[in-house]
Amino acid sequence: MNPAKTRPIQKFAAATSKCSVEAAAYGKCIVADYNAVHKDKCAKEFMRLKDCYLLASKK
Amino acid sequence: MSSCTRSLTAASSRLPSLPHQLSRCHRRTYAVQSGGAPRFQVFNRRSKWLQKERAAANPELSRETDYLKDEVAVRLTERLLDIKRHFPKVLDVGANSCNIARALVQPNPDPDPSKPDSPPISTRITELVAAESSEALLYRDAKLDFNNQLNITRHVLEDEETLPYEPESFDLVMSNLSMHWINDLPGTLTQINNILKPDCPFIGAMLGGDTLFELRTSLQLAEQERRGGMSPRVSPLADVRDVGGLLQKAGFKMLTVDVDDIIVDYPDTFTLMQDLQAMGESNVILGREMGPISRDLLLANEAIYRELHGNEDGSLPATFRIIYMIGWHESPDQAKPLPRGSGDLNLKDILEQK
Repeated sequence: MNPAKTRPIQKFAAATSKCSVEAAAYGKCIVADYNAVHKDKCAKEFMRLKDCYLLASKK
Repeated sequence: MSSCTRSLTAASSRLPSLPHQLSRCHRRTYAVQSGGAPRFQVFNRRSKWLQKERAAANPELSRETDYLKDEVAVRLTERLLDIKRHFPKVLDVGANSCNIARALVQPNPDPDPSKPDSPPISTRITELVAAESSEALLYRDAKLDFNNQLNITRHVLEDEETLPYEPESFDLVMSNLSMHWINDLPGTLTQINNILKPDCPFIGAMLGGDTLFELRTSLQLAEQERRGGMSPRVSPLADVRDVGGLLQKAGFKMLTVDVDDIIVDYPDTFTLMQDLQAMGESNVILGREMGPISRDLLLANEAIYRELHGNEDGSLPATFRIIYMIGWHESPDQAKPLPRGSGDLNLKDILEQK
């Protein structure tokens, strides 16, 4: 492992940190009723979060 | 009579010529030794070995993430201050990077500043055997200064689940944060009890109970929502109640079990996971999903972790629940509980007198 090279996970973390508003919206949607989580319960919020992340990682 | 009849119906149906009475209860069947308790395989020990070797391949990062093991090693060795004794031969099972040796050479300032510092515990130890299966991790700090301050022998084990030592050969066995990766915990504890001399203690610390419950729950929620199911991401761990039973089953006497929560704050879940990886503490559950965790899941996990468990200041707490256990090898001169009903003082009288 070369310490000078940034690992992909670090780039990923940096891009994710720019989407805190969308992440909070997604988190709130899940936590609002976390005993009854099913697949794609918060798909809309997640896609917003993912779009934001994709945009941030391109910059 | 009725149970006897029931258990023998199969046999008697095959032997119709036997007299009625004989076929019922007077026939004896062979005693067959039962296979013993099943040995559950939970962890892939080879993957764990690989993870430790890889972690130790980057000594700087590996040392940086030793904070948890170093802290627990100090808290663990503190317990030796209560045992006023000299230990000729000490074993450290699952030594990782010899964190216990490092803790043993530290000075012990007395809480009362007027009293002089007691010397490091290492002065009471003649020989420390550090046993660990990962050679790279065991020898990571072999050239550092603390090695000269005590007599340490490093021993690369084939596997921590089979201890290659003579019975009754150690005066103290310690173990620091490695027993939570053992498959056969009852068997290993029994072996530890066997290699201890009479009236000698085993003092160990392992992760247990609610360790990393924040990560466990948020990953479960993320996976449930993104993929509609869960896979094992965080190890099943022994609970405090289990540990007492395990020690007792292994034949230890005068048990002490206590718990300590260490909560570490991380800036984000990625740092937490990177640190766990650098500690060599990644997931090795058999039947785990192989390959890297998907980015969607990481993204969802980060958001849920922050919402569900995050601190006010934006950091994310991760709980490490440490279970400390002390058990003594049986000896005839140890204090034993009196037989039941042998007390001749009524506790009620004493309590009512005040």
